[in-house]
Amino acid sequence: MFELFKNLGTWLTSGGSWSGSDGIAHRLAEHLQYSLLATLVAAAIGLPLGLLIGHTGKGAFLAINLSSFGRALPTVGLVVLVFLAGGLSMLPVYVALVALAVPAIVTNTYAGMTAVDPDVKDAARGQGMRGHQVLFQVELPLALPLIMTGLRLALIQVVATATIAAYVSFGGLGRYVFDGLAQRDLVQVLGGAVLVAVVAVTLDLLLSTLQRLLSRHRAA
Amino acid sequence: MNRRTLLGGLFAAASVPALSACASGITSLDSQGSASGGGGSSKGGLTIGTANFTENQVLGYLYAAVLKQAGVKVKVRPNLGTREIVIPALRGGDIDLLPEYQGALLNYLAPKDDSSEPGTMQNALTLAMPAGLQVLPYGQAADSDCFVVTRATARKYGLATLADLAKQNGRLVIGAAPEVKKRRVGALGLKDVYGVEFKEFRSLDSDGPLVKGALKKGDVDVANLFTTDTDIAAHDWVVLSDPKNLIPSQHIVPLIADRKADDTVRKALARLGNVLTTEQLTQLNSQVDNDKKDPEDVANAYAKQHGLA
Repeated sequence: MFELFKNLGTWLTSGGSWSGSDGIAHRLAEHLQYSLLATLVAAAIGLPLGLLIGHTGKGAFLAINLSSFGRALPTVGLVVLVFLAGGLSMLPVYVALVALAVPAIVTNTYAGMTAVDPDVKDAARGQGMRGHQVLFQVELPLALPLIMTGLRLALIQVVATATIAAYVSFGGLGRYVFDGLAQRDLVQVLGGAVLVAVVAVTLDLLLSTLQRLLSRHRAA
Repeated sequence: MNRRTLLGGLFAAASVPALSACASGITSLDSQGSASGGGGSSKGGLTIGTANFTENQVLGYLYAAVLKQAGVKVKVRPNLGTREIVIPALRGGDIDLLPEYQGALLNYLAPKDDSSEPGTMQNALTLAMPAGLQVLPYGQAADSDCFVVTRATARKYGLATLADLAKQNGRLVIGAAPEVKKRRVGALGLKDVYGVEFKEFRSLDSDGPLVKGALKKGDVDVANLFTTDTDIAAHDWVVLSDPKNLIPSQHIVPLIADRKADDTVRKALARLGNVLTTEQLTQLNSQVDNDKKDPEDVANAYAKQHGLA
Protein backbone atom coordinates (compact mmCIF):
# COMPACT_ATOMS: atom_id res chain seq x y z
CA MET A 1 0.00 0.00 0.00
CA PHE A 2 2.77 2.40 1.03
CA GLU A 3 4.66 1.43 -2.11
CA LEU A 4 1.61 2.29 -4.22
CA PHE A 5 1.36 5.79 -2.76
CA LYS A 6 5.09 6.33 -3.12
CA ASN A 7 4.84 5.38 -6.81
CA LEU A 8 1.83 7.63 -7.14
CA GLY A 9 3.84 10.50 -5.73
CA THR A 10 6.66 9.82 -8.18
CA TRP A 11 4.23 9.65 -11.08
CA LEU A 12 2.52 12.91 -10.14
CA THR A 13 5.73 14.83 -9.58
CA SER A 14 8.03 13.62 -12.34
CA GLY A 15 8.36 16.03 -15.26
CA GLY A 16 8.10 13.19 -17.78
CA SER A 17 4.52 12.32 -16.86
CA TRP A 18 3.42 15.95 -17.34
CA SER A 19 4.70 16.53 -20.87
CA GLY A 20 3.73 15.19 -24.28
CA SER A 21 0.37 14.34 -25.82
CA ASP A 22 -0.22 11.65 -23.17
CA GLY A 23 1.12 13.93 -20.43
CA ILE A 24 -0.89 15.17 -17.46
CA ALA A 25 -0.87 18.81 -18.63
CA HIS A 26 -2.44 17.91 -21.95
CA ARG A 27 -4.96 15.48 -20.42
CA LEU A 28 -5.89 18.07 -17.80
CA ALA A 29 -6.54 20.68 -20.49
CA GLU A 30 -8.70 18.20 -22.42
CA HIS A 31 -10.64 17.30 -19.30
CA LEU A 32 -11.29 20.96 -18.47
CA GLN A 33 -12.38 21.60 -22.04
CA TYR A 34 -14.89 18.72 -22.03
CA SER A 35 -16.26 19.59 -18.59
CA LEU A 36 -16.60 23.34 -19.04
CA LEU A 37 -18.11 23.12 -22.52
CA ALA A 38 -20.65 20.50 -21.43
CA THR A 39 -21.61 22.51 -18.34
CA LEU A 40 -21.94 25.72 -20.36
CA VAL A 41 -24.26 24.05 -22.86
CA ALA A 42 -26.25 22.50 -20.01
CA ALA A 43 -26.53 25.92 -18.35
CA ALA A 44 -27.67 27.48 -21.62
CA ILE A 45 -30.49 24.93 -21.70
CA GLY A 46 -31.22 24.53 -18.00
CA LEU A 47 -31.12 28.12 -16.71
CA PRO A 48 -33.73 29.65 -19.05
CA LEU A 49 -35.92 26.60 -18.59
CA GLY A 50 -35.69 26.74 -14.79
CA LEU A 51 -36.29 30.50 -14.72
CA LEU A 52 -39.27 30.19 -17.04
CA ILE A 53 -41.06 27.48 -15.10
CA GLY A 54 -40.14 29.12 -11.81
CA HIS A 55 -41.43 32.52 -12.89
CA THR A 56 -44.62 31.38 -14.55
CA GLY A 57 -45.22 28.38 -12.31
CA LYS A 58 -46.38 26.51 -15.42
CA GLY A 59 -45.07 23.25 -16.81
CA ALA A 60 -42.91 22.59 -13.76
CA PHE A 61 -44.02 18.98 -13.38
CA LEU A 62 -43.31 18.14 -17.00
CA ALA A 63 -40.01 20.02 -17.25
CA ILE A 64 -38.57 18.65 -14.04
CA ASN A 65 -39.54 15.07 -14.76
CA LEU A 66 -38.33 15.26 -18.34
CA SER A 67 -34.99 16.67 -17.31
CA SER A 68 -34.64 14.16 -14.47
CA PHE A 69 -34.99 11.50 -17.10
CA GLY A 70 -31.55 12.59 -18.28
CA ARG A 71 -30.16 11.98 -14.81
CA ALA A 72 -31.68 8.50 -14.69
CA LEU A 73 -30.20 7.42 -18.02
CA PRO A 74 -27.10 5.30 -17.63
CA THR A 75 -24.35 7.52 -18.98
CA VAL A 76 -22.26 4.78 -20.57
CA GLY A 77 -25.36 3.36 -22.27
CA LEU A 78 -26.21 6.77 -23.68
CA VAL A 79 -22.66 7.22 -24.98
CA VAL A 80 -22.74 3.84 -26.72
CA LEU A 81 -26.19 4.52 -28.18
CA VAL A 82 -25.26 7.87 -29.69
CA PHE A 83 -21.93 6.42 -30.82
CA LEU A 84 -23.59 3.53 -32.66
CA ALA A 85 -26.03 5.93 -34.31
CA GLY A 86 -23.54 8.63 -35.21
CA GLY A 87 -20.04 7.20 -35.29
CA LEU A 88 -16.83 8.03 -33.51
CA SER A 89 -16.76 11.65 -32.36
CA MET A 90 -17.00 13.68 -29.16
CA LEU A 91 -20.74 14.18 -29.78
CA PRO A 92 -21.84 11.08 -27.81
CA VAL A 93 -19.79 12.22 -24.84
CA TYR A 94 -21.19 15.76 -24.90
CA VAL A 95 -24.77 14.50 -25.28
CA ALA A 96 -24.35 12.27 -22.23
CA LEU A 97 -22.64 14.93 -20.12
CA VAL A 98 -25.23 17.59 -20.98
CA ALA A 99 -28.06 15.15 -20.22
CA LEU A 100 -26.44 14.54 -16.85
CA ALA A 101 -25.93 18.23 -16.02
CA VAL A 102 -29.28 19.74 -17.10
CA PRO A 103 -31.47 18.18 -14.34
CA ALA A 104 -29.40 19.59 -11.47
CA ILE A 105 -29.51 23.06 -13.04
CA VAL A 106 -33.24 23.00 -13.84
CA THR A 107 -34.41 21.63 -10.52
CA ASN A 108 -32.21 23.93 -8.44
CA THR A 109 -33.13 26.99 -10.46
CA TYR A 110 -36.80 26.13 -10.12
CA ALA A 111 -36.40 25.44 -6.39
CA GLY A 112 -34.64 28.78 -5.94
CA MET A 113 -37.42 30.59 -7.77
CA THR A 114 -40.24 28.97 -5.81
CA ALA A 115 -38.45 29.69 -2.53
CA VAL A 116 -38.80 33.43 -3.14
CA ASP A 117 -41.38 34.76 -0.68
CA PRO A 118 -44.65 35.42 -2.58
CA ASP A 119 -45.17 38.56 -0.49
CA VAL A 120 -41.95 39.99 -1.89
CA LYS A 121 -43.12 39.32 -5.45
CA ASP A 122 -46.49 40.87 -4.64
CA ALA A 123 -44.81 43.94 -3.21
CA ALA A 124 -42.66 44.25 -6.34
CA ARG A 125 -45.74 44.09 -8.56
CA GLY A 126 -47.54 46.48 -6.26
CA GLN A 127 -44.78 49.02 -6.85
CA GLY A 128 -45.55 48.76 -10.56
CA MET A 129 -42.76 46.40 -11.67
CA ARG A 130 -43.40 44.46 -14.83
CA GLY A 131 -43.01 40.71 -15.21
CA HIS A 132 -39.47 40.76 -16.53
CA GLN A 133 -38.47 43.35 -13.94
CA VAL A 134 -39.78 41.13 -11.14
CA LEU A 135 -37.90 38.21 -12.66
CA PHE A 136 -34.54 39.87 -13.11
CA GLN A 137 -34.53 42.39 -10.26
CA VAL A 138 -36.31 40.47 -7.51
CA GLU A 139 -36.62 36.74 -8.12
CA LEU A 140 -33.26 36.08 -9.77
CA PRO A 141 -31.11 37.79 -7.12
CA LEU A 142 -33.01 36.07 -4.32
CA ALA A 143 -32.82 32.67 -6.05
CA LEU A 144 -29.14 33.09 -6.89
CA PRO A 145 -27.67 30.98 -4.05
CA LEU A 146 -29.73 27.94 -5.06
CA ILE A 147 -29.07 28.52 -8.77
CA MET A 148 -25.35 28.61 -8.08
CA THR A 149 -25.64 25.42 -6.05
CA GLY A 150 -27.25 23.76 -9.06
CA LEU A 151 -24.42 24.89 -11.32
CA ARG A 152 -21.81 23.66 -8.87
CA LEU A 153 -23.52 20.29 -8.53
CA ALA A 154 -23.75 19.96 -12.29
CA LEU A 155 -20.11 20.90 -12.78
CA ILE A 156 -18.85 18.38 -10.20
CA GLN A 157 -20.92 15.60 -11.75
CA VAL A 158 -19.68 16.49 -15.21
CA VAL A 159 -16.02 16.67 -14.15
CA ALA A 160 -16.28 13.24 -12.54
CA THR A 161 -18.17 11.73 -15.46
CA ALA A 162 -16.09 13.30 -18.26
CA THR A 163 -13.75 10.34 -17.69
CA ILE A 164 -16.01 8.37 -20.06
CA ALA A 165 -14.60 10.31 -23.01
CA ALA A 166 -11.73 7.85 -22.72
CA TYR A 167 -14.18 4.96 -23.07
CA VAL A 168 -14.77 5.96 -26.68
CA SER A 169 -11.08 6.53 -27.40
CA PHE A 170 -10.84 10.26 -26.59
CA GLY A 171 -8.64 12.02 -24.05
CA GLY A 172 -9.11 13.69 -20.69
CA LEU A 173 -8.06 12.30 -17.34
CA GLY A 174 -10.22 9.22 -17.91
CA ARG A 175 -7.47 8.03 -20.27
CA TYR A 176 -5.34 7.18 -17.21
CA VAL A 177 -8.21 5.37 -15.51
CA PHE A 178 -9.24 3.25 -18.49
CA ASP A 179 -5.71 2.54 -19.74
CA GLY A 180 -4.49 1.83 -16.24
CA LEU A 181 -7.31 -0.62 -15.57
CA ALA A 182 -6.79 -2.39 -18.88
CA GLN A 183 -3.04 -2.57 -18.42
CA ARG A 184 -3.18 -3.48 -14.69
CA ASP A 185 -1.30 -0.28 -13.87
CA LEU A 186 -2.80 0.76 -10.52
CA VAL A 187 -0.58 3.83 -10.16
CA GLN A 188 -2.03 5.25 -13.36
CA VAL A 189 -5.62 4.47 -12.27
CA LEU A 190 -5.13 6.05 -8.87
CA GLY A 191 -3.30 9.03 -10.38
CA GLY A 192 -6.16 9.68 -12.80
CA ALA A 193 -8.75 9.39 -10.05
CA VAL A 194 -6.85 11.73 -7.73
CA LEU A 195 -6.45 14.31 -10.49
CA VAL A 196 -10.18 14.17 -11.29
CA ALA A 197 -10.99 14.72 -7.62
CA VAL A 198 -8.56 17.64 -7.40
CA VAL A 199 -10.07 19.26 -10.51
CA ALA A 200 -13.62 18.81 -9.18
CA VAL A 201 -12.81 20.30 -5.77
CA THR A 202 -10.82 23.19 -7.26
CA LEU A 203 -13.57 24.16 -9.68
CA ASP A 204 -16.15 23.92 -6.91
CA LEU A 205 -14.07 26.23 -4.70
CA LEU A 206 -13.74 28.70 -7.56
CA LEU A 207 -17.49 28.73 -8.14
CA SER A 208 -18.28 29.11 -4.46
CA THR A 209 -15.90 32.07 -4.28
CA LEU A 210 -17.64 33.56 -7.30
CA GLN A 211 -20.97 32.98 -5.59
CA ARG A 212 -19.79 34.77 -2.44
CA LEU A 213 -18.51 37.70 -4.46
CA LEU A 214 -21.83 37.95 -6.31
CA SER A 215 -23.90 37.96 -3.14
CA ARG A 216 -21.60 40.46 -1.41
CA HIS A 217 -21.92 42.72 -4.41
CA ARG A 218 -25.69 42.50 -4.13
CA ALA A 219 -25.68 43.21 -0.42
CA ALA A 220 -23.56 46.31 -0.85
CA MET B 1 -7.87 -20.02 -0.11
CA ASN B 2 -7.55 -16.65 -1.71
CA ARG B 3 -6.23 -15.94 -5.15
CA ARG B 4 -2.78 -14.89 -4.07
CA THR B 5 -2.01 -18.08 -2.17
CA LEU B 6 -3.41 -20.08 -5.04
CA LEU B 7 -1.17 -18.34 -7.53
CA GLY B 8 1.78 -18.83 -5.21
CA GLY B 9 0.97 -22.52 -5.20
CA LEU B 10 0.68 -22.59 -8.95
CA PHE B 11 4.07 -20.99 -9.42
CA ALA B 12 5.70 -23.27 -6.88
CA ALA B 13 4.27 -26.24 -8.75
CA ALA B 14 5.36 -24.76 -12.05
CA SER B 15 8.98 -24.85 -10.96
CA VAL B 16 9.14 -28.67 -10.86
CA PRO B 17 9.19 -28.96 -14.58
CA ALA B 18 11.51 -30.97 -16.76
CA LEU B 19 10.59 -34.54 -15.84
CA SER B 20 6.87 -34.20 -16.23
CA ALA B 21 7.41 -32.47 -19.56
CA CYS B 22 9.31 -35.43 -20.96
CA ALA B 23 6.76 -37.84 -19.60
CA SER B 24 3.96 -36.20 -21.53
CA GLY B 25 5.24 -34.55 -24.69
CA ILE B 26 1.89 -33.82 -26.25
CA THR B 27 2.46 -31.98 -29.44
CA SER B 28 -0.22 -33.14 -31.79
CA LEU B 29 -3.72 -34.48 -31.94
CA ASP B 30 -2.59 -37.88 -33.09
CA SER B 31 -0.43 -38.53 -30.08
CA GLN B 32 -1.94 -40.52 -27.24
CA GLY B 33 -1.57 -37.59 -24.91
CA SER B 34 0.30 -37.95 -21.67
CA ALA B 35 1.22 -41.41 -20.50
CA SER B 36 -1.47 -42.81 -18.30
CA GLY B 37 -0.24 -40.54 -15.53
CA GLY B 38 -0.87 -42.41 -12.30
CA GLY B 39 -4.25 -44.09 -12.57
CA GLY B 40 -7.01 -41.55 -12.89
CA SER B 41 -10.49 -42.98 -13.33
CA SER B 42 -13.72 -41.54 -14.64
CA LYS B 43 -15.76 -44.47 -13.32
CA GLY B 44 -17.41 -42.43 -10.61
CA GLY B 45 -18.46 -39.80 -13.15
CA LEU B 46 -17.06 -36.31 -13.50
CA THR B 47 -18.16 -32.69 -13.30
CA ILE B 48 -17.50 -30.24 -16.12
CA GLY B 49 -17.20 -26.57 -15.26
CA THR B 50 -17.37 -23.69 -17.72
CA ALA B 51 -16.42 -20.03 -17.61
CA ASN B 52 -18.91 -17.22 -17.97
CA PHE B 53 -19.17 -16.79 -21.72
CA THR B 54 -21.18 -18.45 -24.47
CA GLU B 55 -18.46 -20.32 -26.28
CA ASN B 56 -17.09 -21.89 -23.13
CA GLN B 57 -20.55 -23.15 -22.19
CA VAL B 58 -21.09 -24.61 -25.65
CA LEU B 59 -17.75 -26.40 -25.30
CA GLY B 60 -18.68 -27.67 -21.85
CA TYR B 61 -21.89 -29.24 -23.20
CA LEU B 62 -19.99 -30.67 -26.19
CA TYR B 63 -17.57 -32.33 -23.76
CA ALA B 64 -20.58 -33.65 -21.84
CA ALA B 65 -22.19 -35.07 -24.99
CA VAL B 66 -19.12 -37.00 -26.16
CA LEU B 67 -18.35 -38.27 -22.65
CA LYS B 68 -21.89 -39.53 -22.17
CA GLN B 69 -21.54 -41.39 -25.44
CA ALA B 70 -18.36 -42.97 -24.08
CA GLY B 71 -20.29 -44.18 -21.03
CA VAL B 72 -19.07 -41.63 -18.49
CA LYS B 73 -21.54 -40.11 -16.07
CA VAL B 74 -21.22 -36.33 -16.41
CA LYS B 75 -22.64 -33.26 -14.75
CA VAL B 76 -22.19 -29.75 -16.18
CA ARG B 77 -21.87 -26.68 -13.98
CA PRO B 78 -22.11 -23.83 -16.46
CA ASN B 79 -21.27 -20.17 -16.06
CA LEU B 80 -19.05 -20.43 -13.00
CA GLY B 81 -17.06 -17.28 -13.69
CA THR B 82 -13.66 -16.19 -14.89
CA ARG B 83 -10.43 -18.15 -14.93
CA GLU B 84 -9.62 -16.73 -11.50
CA ILE B 85 -12.64 -18.65 -10.17
CA VAL B 86 -12.85 -21.82 -12.23
CA ILE B 87 -9.24 -22.94 -11.92
CA PRO B 88 -9.32 -22.86 -8.10
CA ALA B 89 -12.61 -24.79 -8.32
CA LEU B 90 -10.84 -27.36 -10.47
CA ARG B 91 -7.94 -27.71 -8.05
CA GLY B 92 -10.28 -27.86 -5.07
CA GLY B 93 -12.22 -30.76 -6.59
CA ASP B 94 -15.55 -28.97 -7.16
CA ILE B 95 -15.14 -29.59 -10.87
CA ASP B 96 -12.94 -32.04 -12.77
CA LEU B 97 -12.78 -30.86 -16.35
CA LEU B 98 -12.72 -27.48 -18.04
CA PRO B 99 -12.55 -26.31 -21.67
CA GLU B 100 -9.54 -23.99 -21.89
CA TYR B 101 -7.53 -22.04 -24.48
CA GLN B 102 -3.81 -22.60 -24.97
CA GLY B 103 -2.60 -19.01 -25.04
CA ALA B 104 -4.88 -17.66 -22.33
CA LEU B 105 -4.15 -20.56 -19.99
CA LEU B 106 -0.41 -20.29 -20.55
CA ASN B 107 -0.57 -16.57 -19.91
CA TYR B 108 -2.35 -17.30 -16.62
CA LEU B 109 0.10 -19.98 -15.51
CA ALA B 110 3.35 -18.59 -16.92
CA PRO B 111 2.89 -14.95 -17.94
CA LYS B 112 6.48 -14.57 -19.14
CA ASP B 113 6.31 -17.38 -21.69
CA ASP B 114 5.95 -15.93 -25.19
CA SER B 115 5.73 -19.06 -27.33
CA SER B 116 3.04 -18.83 -30.01
CA GLU B 117 3.19 -22.00 -32.10
CA PRO B 118 0.59 -24.62 -30.97
CA GLY B 119 3.03 -27.50 -30.39
CA THR B 120 5.53 -25.40 -28.43
CA MET B 121 2.70 -23.93 -26.40
CA GLN B 122 1.37 -27.36 -25.54
CA ASN B 123 4.79 -28.31 -24.17
CA ALA B 124 5.04 -25.00 -22.31
CA LEU B 125 1.62 -25.66 -20.79
CA THR B 126 2.67 -29.10 -19.63
CA LEU B 127 5.73 -27.51 -18.03
CA ALA B 128 3.67 -24.87 -16.28
CA MET B 129 0.92 -27.21 -15.10
CA PRO B 130 0.36 -27.24 -11.32
CA ALA B 131 0.40 -30.59 -9.51
CA GLY B 132 -2.76 -32.64 -9.93
CA LEU B 133 -3.79 -31.07 -13.24
CA GLN B 134 -2.98 -31.88 -16.84
CA VAL B 135 -3.87 -30.68 -20.32
CA LEU B 136 -5.09 -33.19 -22.89
CA PRO B 137 -4.25 -32.93 -26.61
CA TYR B 138 -5.54 -29.72 -28.15
CA GLY B 139 -8.33 -29.63 -30.71
CA GLN B 140 -8.17 -28.07 -34.16
CA ALA B 141 -10.67 -25.30 -33.30
CA ALA B 142 -9.13 -22.08 -32.03
CA ASP B 143 -10.45 -18.79 -30.75
CA SER B 144 -7.56 -16.36 -31.17
CA ASP B 145 -7.03 -12.67 -31.47
CA CYS B 146 -7.05 -11.44 -35.02
CA PHE B 147 -6.70 -8.18 -36.88
CA VAL B 148 -9.52 -7.43 -39.28
CA VAL B 149 -10.15 -4.91 -42.06
CA THR B 150 -13.22 -4.34 -44.20
CA ARG B 151 -13.26 -5.81 -47.70
CA ALA B 152 -13.09 -2.28 -49.15
CA THR B 153 -10.03 -1.35 -47.06
CA ALA B 154 -8.30 -4.60 -47.99
CA ARG B 155 -8.84 -3.87 -51.68
CA LYS B 156 -7.89 -0.20 -51.45
CA TYR B 157 -4.56 -0.80 -49.70
CA GLY B 158 -3.84 -4.33 -50.94
CA LEU B 159 -3.95 -5.92 -47.49
CA ALA B 160 -3.87 -9.69 -46.98
CA THR B 161 -1.33 -10.27 -44.20
CA LEU B 162 -0.17 -8.32 -41.17
CA ALA B 163 3.07 -7.67 -43.06
CA ASP B 164 1.11 -5.71 -45.69
CA LEU B 165 0.14 -3.17 -43.02
CA ALA B 166 3.74 -1.91 -42.97
CA LYS B 167 3.38 -0.71 -46.56
CA GLN B 168 0.80 1.79 -45.31
CA ASN B 169 2.77 3.01 -42.27
CA GLY B 170 1.41 6.22 -40.81
CA ARG B 171 -1.83 5.99 -42.76
CA LEU B 172 -4.05 3.52 -40.94
CA VAL B 173 -5.97 3.87 -37.67
CA ILE B 174 -6.31 0.83 -35.42
CA GLY B 175 -9.14 0.27 -32.96
CA ALA B 176 -8.75 -2.13 -30.02
CA ALA B 177 -9.16 -2.44 -26.26
CA PRO B 178 -6.85 -0.11 -24.29
CA GLU B 179 -4.61 -2.97 -23.09
CA VAL B 180 -3.76 -3.87 -26.69
CA LYS B 181 -1.71 -0.68 -26.98
CA LYS B 182 0.87 -2.10 -24.57
CA ARG B 183 0.56 -5.78 -25.48
CA ARG B 184 2.81 -7.93 -27.56
CA VAL B 185 -0.26 -9.25 -29.36
CA GLY B 186 -1.06 -5.69 -30.29
CA ALA B 187 0.66 -2.46 -31.21
CA LEU B 188 4.05 -3.47 -29.70
CA GLY B 189 4.32 -6.83 -31.45
CA LEU B 190 3.04 -5.47 -34.76
CA LYS B 191 5.84 -2.93 -34.65
CA ASP B 192 8.55 -5.38 -33.51
CA VAL B 193 7.67 -8.29 -35.74
CA TYR B 194 6.14 -6.65 -38.81
CA GLY B 195 7.45 -3.06 -38.57
CA VAL B 196 3.92 -1.67 -38.59
CA GLU B 197 3.33 1.88 -37.41
CA PHE B 198 -0.22 3.15 -37.18
CA LYS B 199 -1.33 6.71 -37.67
CA GLU B 200 -3.33 6.46 -34.48
CA PHE B 201 -4.38 3.98 -31.81
CA ARG B 202 -8.04 4.28 -30.81
CA SER B 203 -8.83 2.73 -27.42
CA LEU B 204 -12.25 1.11 -27.69
CA ASP B 205 -13.51 -2.24 -26.38
CA SER B 206 -12.57 -5.88 -26.65
CA ASP B 207 -14.48 -7.31 -29.63
CA GLY B 208 -17.56 -5.36 -28.55
CA PRO B 209 -20.04 -2.90 -30.07
CA LEU B 210 -17.63 0.05 -30.01
CA VAL B 211 -14.76 -1.40 -31.99
CA LYS B 212 -17.07 -3.17 -34.45
CA GLY B 213 -19.20 -0.05 -34.85
CA ALA B 214 -16.09 2.03 -35.53
CA LEU B 215 -14.86 -0.48 -38.13
CA LYS B 216 -18.26 -0.54 -39.84
CA LYS B 217 -18.42 3.26 -40.00
CA GLY B 218 -14.83 3.58 -41.18
CA ASP B 219 -13.68 5.45 -38.07
CA VAL B 220 -10.95 2.84 -37.70
CA ASP B 221 -9.27 0.90 -40.54
CA VAL B 222 -8.03 -2.10 -38.58
CA ALA B 223 -9.84 -3.73 -35.66
CA ASN B 224 -8.71 -6.29 -33.11
CA LEU B 225 -11.39 -9.05 -32.88
CA PHE B 226 -11.63 -12.76 -32.06
CA THR B 227 -11.64 -15.43 -34.76
CA THR B 228 -14.92 -16.99 -33.57
CA ASP B 229 -16.86 -13.75 -33.89
CA THR B 230 -19.78 -14.40 -36.28
CA ASP B 231 -19.82 -10.74 -37.35
CA ILE B 232 -16.58 -11.25 -39.28
CA ALA B 233 -18.28 -13.52 -41.81
CA ALA B 234 -21.58 -11.65 -41.65
CA HIS B 235 -19.92 -8.39 -42.77
CA ASP B 236 -17.45 -10.05 -45.12
CA TRP B 237 -14.52 -8.61 -43.16
CA VAL B 238 -11.00 -9.77 -43.98
CA VAL B 239 -8.86 -11.41 -41.29
CA LEU B 240 -5.21 -10.50 -41.96
CA SER B 241 -3.05 -13.60 -41.84
CA ASP B 242 -0.08 -13.86 -39.49
CA PRO B 243 2.83 -15.46 -41.41
CA LYS B 244 5.36 -14.80 -38.63
CA ASN B 245 3.23 -16.28 -35.81
CA LEU B 246 2.98 -13.13 -33.74
CA ILE B 247 -0.39 -14.13 -32.32
CA PRO B 248 -0.21 -17.05 -29.90
CA SER B 249 -2.29 -20.05 -30.74
CA GLN B 250 -5.55 -20.32 -28.81
CA HIS B 251 -6.48 -23.86 -29.70
CA ILE B 252 -9.08 -25.32 -27.41
CA VAL B 253 -7.54 -27.64 -24.89
CA PRO B 254 -9.21 -29.74 -22.16
CA LEU B 255 -7.83 -29.01 -18.70
CA ILE B 256 -8.51 -31.96 -16.41
CA ALA B 257 -7.72 -33.18 -12.91
CA ASP B 258 -5.30 -36.14 -12.87
CA ARG B 259 -7.74 -38.11 -10.71
CA LYS B 260 -10.28 -38.31 -13.56
CA ALA B 261 -8.02 -38.54 -16.61
CA ASP B 262 -8.34 -42.07 -17.96
CA ASP B 263 -8.20 -43.43 -21.50
CA THR B 264 -11.96 -43.30 -22.00
CA VAL B 265 -12.07 -39.57 -21.33
CA ARG B 266 -8.90 -38.89 -23.28
CA LYS B 267 -10.12 -40.67 -26.40
CA ALA B 268 -13.60 -39.17 -26.33
CA LEU B 269 -12.24 -35.63 -26.07
CA ALA B 270 -9.56 -36.26 -28.71
CA ARG B 271 -12.28 -37.42 -31.10
CA LEU B 272 -14.22 -34.20 -30.54
CA GLY B 273 -11.02 -32.15 -30.92
CA ASN B 274 -10.35 -33.74 -34.28
CA VAL B 275 -13.85 -33.04 -35.60
CA LEU B 276 -14.78 -29.59 -34.33
CA THR B 277 -13.45 -26.76 -36.52
CA THR B 278 -13.22 -23.05 -35.77
CA GLU B 279 -15.96 -22.32 -38.33
CA GLN B 280 -18.30 -24.85 -36.77
CA LEU B 281 -17.66 -23.48 -33.29
CA THR B 282 -18.38 -19.99 -34.61
CA GLN B 283 -21.68 -21.28 -35.98
CA LEU B 284 -22.59 -22.87 -32.65
CA ASN B 285 -21.81 -19.61 -30.82
CA SER B 286 -24.02 -17.77 -33.25
CA GLN B 287 -26.92 -20.16 -32.68
CA VAL B 288 -26.75 -19.36 -28.97
CA ASP B 289 -26.02 -15.62 -29.20
CA ASN B 290 -28.07 -14.63 -32.22
CA ASP B 291 -30.78 -17.30 -32.46
CA LYS B 292 -31.14 -17.50 -28.66
CA LYS B 293 -30.97 -21.29 -28.56
CA ASP B 294 -30.03 -23.23 -25.45
CA PRO B 295 -26.28 -24.05 -25.41
CA GLU B 296 -26.98 -27.63 -24.27
CA ASP B 297 -29.40 -28.27 -27.18
CA VAL B 298 -26.97 -26.71 -29.64
CA ALA B 299 -24.11 -28.90 -28.40
CA ASN B 300 -26.20 -32.08 -28.40
CA ALA B 301 -27.49 -31.44 -31.92
CA TYR B 302 -23.93 -30.91 -33.17
CA ALA B 303 -22.64 -34.06 -31.48
CA LYS B 304 -25.46 -36.14 -32.93
CA GLN B 305 -25.01 -34.69 -36.42
CA HIS B 306 -21.29 -35.53 -36.42
CA GLY B 307 -21.68 -39.02 -35.02
CA LEU B 308 -20.16 -38.09 -31.67
CA ALA B 309 -23.21 -38.90 -29.59
